[in-house]
Amino acid sequence: MSEIVLHTLVIAGSVLLAASVVIALFRIVRGPSILDRMIGTDVVLASIMCGLGGYMALSDRTDLLPVLVVLAMLGFVGSVSVSRYVSKSDSMTPGAEAGALSDFTSTDWHMPRDAGEQSAAATEIGEPEVTLIADPTYDAHADSDGEGEGTGPDPGPDDAEHMSHGDGSDRDGSDRDGSDRDGEGNSRGS
Amino acid sequence: MVLDIISAVLIFLGAVLSLAAAVGLVRFADLLSRMHASAKPQVLGLVLVAVAIAIQFPTWATVTTLAIIISFQLVTIPVATHMVGRAGYRTKHLRRSMLYRDELAEAVDRAEAREIAWERQRGTGTDHHDG
Repeated sequence: MSEIVLHTLVIAGSVLLAASVVIALFRIVRGPSILDRMIGTDVVLASIMCGLGGYMALSDRTDLLPVLVVLAMLGFVGSVSVSRYVSKSDSMTPGAEAGALSDFTSTDWHMPRDAGEQSAAATEIGEPEVTLIADPTYDAHADSDGEGEGTGPDPGPDDAEHMSHGDGSDRDGSDRDGSDRDGEGNSRGS
Repeated sequence: MVLDIISAVLIFLGAVLSLAAAVGLVRFADLLSRMHASAKPQVLGLVLVAVAIAIQFPTWATVTTLAIIISFQLVTIPVATHMVGRAGYRTKHLRRSMLYRDELAEAVDRAEAREIAWERQRGTGTDHHDG
């Protein structure tokens, strides 16, 4: 009797794990943005860890414990690197960061190639004036159909706005003062 | 045998959590909601499976390794989720209509006001310095 219960539980759990991996793969394929795909990958990884742990528990294999450690680390590193890639203002070194805020907003350092024209347009609009971009479109630009627009990090004027939003929030004034003045000198000299 | 069934039940519960996360991943409309759904099996499902393993092998080596895995996951999952959420906020992969309250927007506005004030100050300051 207990054999039957055990086998039923194991088979049902396996089916559930397989179904969750398939559904998460559906989200990975269809996910409108790269962040949705990253979350789907995290769910696939969590399902793999659960399945591996169950296999270890039910078939006497404690030698697979380091694999669990490696999978946990893999999920963390993947999420952090993808999100740092998406929010471009994170991925600059601290010295270049402040200058990059005002002067290099439109360069396509971390952008795909097709973002060149839009960001070139963003240069002429708002180099010093951050307010003009920020105020009216901030709320209105929320996704109308609920799924984000692009498949990658969205290029263009949006991102200039995000960088001004994001960068201002985590820096203090003194650090920004010195290095950005350097950036100003560079742009003026060139 | 009873322990086998208990650990099988725990693994089954972990699988149910994983399936719930996957269904939430498909059903929810927003990046932040999907993150909310996907965090469940990463922590609680893994804890359940680790308890199942510890029931099967109650030795020090296994239990300490499982404790290391769980504590590592408890430390890293909030960090990774925070970074994904911040990237989603900056690239606007969220529905504003689904937010009851956007507390980060106030901080962003304050930082932006500081930025503008500083830009103005720099505009006058660089003339003196460069001249």
